[in-house]
Amino acid sequence: MIGVISYLVFFATTASILAIAVLGLNLQWGNTGLFNGGVVAFFGAGAYGTLILGGTPQAGHLGGYGLFYPLALLGGMAIAGLVAWIVGLLTLRLRHDYLAIATFGVAVAFENLMRNAEWLAGGAKGVRGFERPLRDALGDGFTYNIFFFLVVLVILIATYLFLERLVASPFGRLLRAIREDEEAAQSLGKNPARVRLMAFITGSVILGLAGGLYGTFYAFVSPQDVLPTLTFQIWAMLIVGGAGNNRGAIFGAFLIWGAWTASGWALSRFAPIEAQLYTGSVQFILIGSVIVGMLMWRPHGLLPERLVVSQRGKTPSA
Amino acid sequence: MIQNLIDGVLTGSYISLGAIGLTLVMHILRFANFSHAELLSLGAYAALVCDALVSALVPVFAVKLAPLSLTGALIVAIFVSMVFTGLSALVIDRLVFKRVREKGQELSMVFASFGMALIIRNVIGLVFGLSPELYSKDIAFAMILSRDPLILVKPDQIFVLVAALVLMFLLHLILSRTTFGYSLRAVAENPSLAQVNGVNLQRTIMAVWLIGGGLAAVAGIFYGLSHQLIPVMGRDLVLPIFAATIVGGIGSVYGAVLGGFIVGIAGNLALVVLPSGYTPSVPFLLIIVVLILRPHGLFGEARA
Amino acid sequence: MSMTKKLGAGFGLALSVTMMSGAAYAQDCTTKIGAVLPTSVDWGRPIAETAQFAVDQVNAAGGAAGCQIEMVLRDTQVDPKVGVDAAKALVDLEGVNVLLGAVSSGVSMPILTSVTVPGGVMQMSCCSSSTAFTTLAEEGKTNGLWFRTFATTGVQSAVGAKVAQDKGYKTIAVLYKNDDWGQDMARQIAADFAAVGVEVTTSVAINDGQPSYRAEVTEALSTQPEALYLALYPAEGTAAVREWISLGGTQNMIMANALKSDEFRDNVGLQYLGNALGTDTASPRADSADAFRAAYVERFESEPNGPGLANSYDATMIALLAMEAAGKDASGAEIAAAVARVTDPDGTAVSADTAGFTSAKEILAGGGTVMFQGATGNVRFDGNGDVSAPAVVWSFSESGIEEVEFLSLDDVDAFIASLQ
Repeated sequence: MIGVISYLVFFATTASILAIAVLGLNLQWGNTGLFNGGVVAFFGAGAYGTLILGGTPQAGHLGGYGLFYPLALLGGMAIAGLVAWIVGLLTLRLRHDYLAIATFGVAVAFENLMRNAEWLAGGAKGVRGFERPLRDALGDGFTYNIFFFLVVLVILIATYLFLERLVASPFGRLLRAIREDEEAAQSLGKNPARVRLMAFITGSVILGLAGGLYGTFYAFVSPQDVLPTLTFQIWAMLIVGGAGNNRGAIFGAFLIWGAWTASGWALSRFAPIEAQLYTGSVQFILIGSVIVGMLMWRPHGLLPERLVVSQRGKTPSA
Repeated sequence: MIQNLIDGVLTGSYISLGAIGLTLVMHILRFANFSHAELLSLGAYAALVCDALVSALVPVFAVKLAPLSLTGALIVAIFVSMVFTGLSALVIDRLVFKRVREKGQELSMVFASFGMALIIRNVIGLVFGLSPELYSKDIAFAMILSRDPLILVKPDQIFVLVAALVLMFLLHLILSRTTFGYSLRAVAENPSLAQVNGVNLQRTIMAVWLIGGGLAAVAGIFYGLSHQLIPVMGRDLVLPIFAATIVGGIGSVYGAVLGGFIVGIAGNLALVVLPSGYTPSVPFLLIIVVLILRPHGLFGEARA
Repeated sequence: MSMTKKLGAGFGLALSVTMMSGAAYAQDCTTKIGAVLPTSVDWGRPIAETAQFAVDQVNAAGGAAGCQIEMVLRDTQVDPKVGVDAAKALVDLEGVNVLLGAVSSGVSMPILTSVTVPGGVMQMSCCSSSTAFTTLAEEGKTNGLWFRTFATTGVQSAVGAKVAQDKGYKTIAVLYKNDDWGQDMARQIAADFAAVGVEVTTSVAINDGQPSYRAEVTEALSTQPEALYLALYPAEGTAAVREWISLGGTQNMIMANALKSDEFRDNVGLQYLGNALGTDTASPRADSADAFRAAYVERFESEPNGPGLANSYDATMIALLAMEAAGKDASGAEIAAAVARVTDPDGTAVSADTAGFTSAKEILAGGGTVMFQGATGNVRFDGNGDVSAPAVVWSFSESGIEEVEFLSLDDVDAFIASLQ
């Protein structure tokens, strides 16, 4: 029994971290209509940034600044934001399918840089030597995992509340206005380019936050953590959950990550040994089919975006 | 240096073929099709099967056409695979993209294509296994064109280049001399206006998939002939092909051809200036440079 | 035993159940061990098959620690978070005390730091090569739970340098896989070549999944080296070497063990590999040394030539021997501690097959220690869980792989010392 609880805590921690990332993407895509095909670059910037800033000194590459943990995490977020600012300046004025491809390329280049620049982040062998905060006090067993889960959960809730407020604020209305009709927004004297850049950076900082927590959880990050698969997974979570709806984003994260792990478990449990060697391919086919199926039959996700009446006169309930 | 240039042109020939189909689809159907590169794999593997079948049934065709490593069977397989892949593209559109198109918006299509890419790639992996396959295990030696500077070219590569150029020329004739080419351009400019003028939109879309799929098959086979077949080859080719499309400008067939050669040459020249570990970033760098200098590509036009 | 368990254990168990019905002793328990391996990549699948093969052999010998062994295999998809989750599920839900895997260092490392060390589970990897593990162990952060049967890159590269020296090559170009193993190899081999006075003309990274390796090969070719050093896996190795040969590059090649693969030999062609010499860690000079190979050929109808196969076999066998030595219901730490009893240089030699496992059982039951003569040699772990082993120089032949030269552990150590 304790085993089941221990696993569920572990699972929920990963899922919550991913949910934070999906919330970040939802601000970009769901609310602003920016197709970020390079999610993993910002997630990775946060993870690498946090570990390099907060880790112990390592021979041969940057790092070992041993910053107080919250500062390291904020630093990771800032680095993700900085990357987003540069990428945003270069690409945000593009038509959205150009944007998708350009940001996809950003992610490939980010992984490539991390893999090769050994002086920067250890190259292919990655960054290690990070001490998880409060590990001395809590050990690294079950207690620690519970503690860390609670921290992640609080951050997830805080991110959710922040985004709900943001979306209901005048800025949020502006985002949707630009998404729906850019020219109309422009004619009202708004500067769409600036607003989109703001939204892109904010979303990327949230992605960086998720990445920082991810790196903390494993106390390790390597180029293998920033492959395009992660971009795909986070997108799948948003599409299935419901783009434009923050609750849908969180729900989608838990659902897809649950399906991803459960299908691996089920295949290892029930498929015959010979077939088990093919589980990876089968799993990818299943996930691909779920996504295509969703888009065909429920294109707005399981929890679709609620239409917001802007002038409700009261604080919106969500 | 000259060797790198020549290699780049030869690599560019199959990237161009892949990019032509993609640029048409992106133009007419208005979405970035991340599964287009999987059509290359599909075509390459279809040819592998067909090649084996023909060689077994008609042993005469299994003989190599020296100095090429190509056999008659593979030439037959190229045509069969073009038809097969074109039809597959059509079927995928009918089953998936058409429905998504009717339900959602352009970007749902982008994501649906992500999903389709995953499905196609892994089905190929399940069927053919994950190890590399080769059309011919014999190594075709390069011919020495010049000793100083040393310039080497493989006969297969010349065949690939010539065949690609011929295909591109045929496509040029179709686009510039037939009513189909006219209606294609009309649909691309303005779908509703084209329909009013009697262009059959559905038929045009079908033709785009057939042409795109067929050329993708050839690109995949040429890639397999030059290198090897692996189930993930689509994943590896997707960025170069997108880069070629964007560099050339979405919608421009001639742009795609030129873009393919530029991407091929850049990839081969990159090693002169960059450490070899960084080659995967080259297509991305090209995309960024072109988008900054010419946001609509070399031959593309601004469009709402 | 429930029906589902029988089904789940599949082929291996079915085989041993048939055997058991004839055997005198009856077992009614099953112990699970976990395996997290990248079964969805080309070279990962055979590694998993080989691990299962070792488990089947042990079950044919009546299982380990009094129970039949069931290996629960999970795919990592080479995705760290998928691998970590799978490992955590195996530890928490299946209750395994022994975890085999992963292959990539980038997956093994987070499993080690966030699952096995906190959970007190022994982790035995076939193939993770990163030097980061040694550092982690030196810092005392693996709690002695970490082992790997992949000899550190030091032995490989030293023997590679020796081959170049013996052959009298003066200049050599290096092509290396651009991952942690390849980057490590490239660094090591450059130092070792320099130590024996061989000039490295260029060192070119070969990235995974590139449409073409033509430019990389041209780059290496333009330096006109006398020989080529290859630290590559078969998939990109085949592509790069075919390109190299077709462009008229030298056929003097030195290969790291990852290219010891029938697939590579067949796809490049034996006629071009006459001057290609490989390096590897080696089996000891004992009669039982062929046991693994013979049994493998019988089961898979091919030679055990492929990256990580012998290492995967040894990892599984040593883990199971350690389970046997630690006894029933032992904890992960106890099993890890028992590894020394089954890889003891002074112990009784046991071969790598069912018969070897059976005899090991008797010796261990009598309180003795054994020396497992594995598929990669007399495997011996140091305090950091790293393995050292004798080495061999090999070449390709009609029938598969042929041994050219054998270097005992002392020879290897002496040569490495001479490089310093």
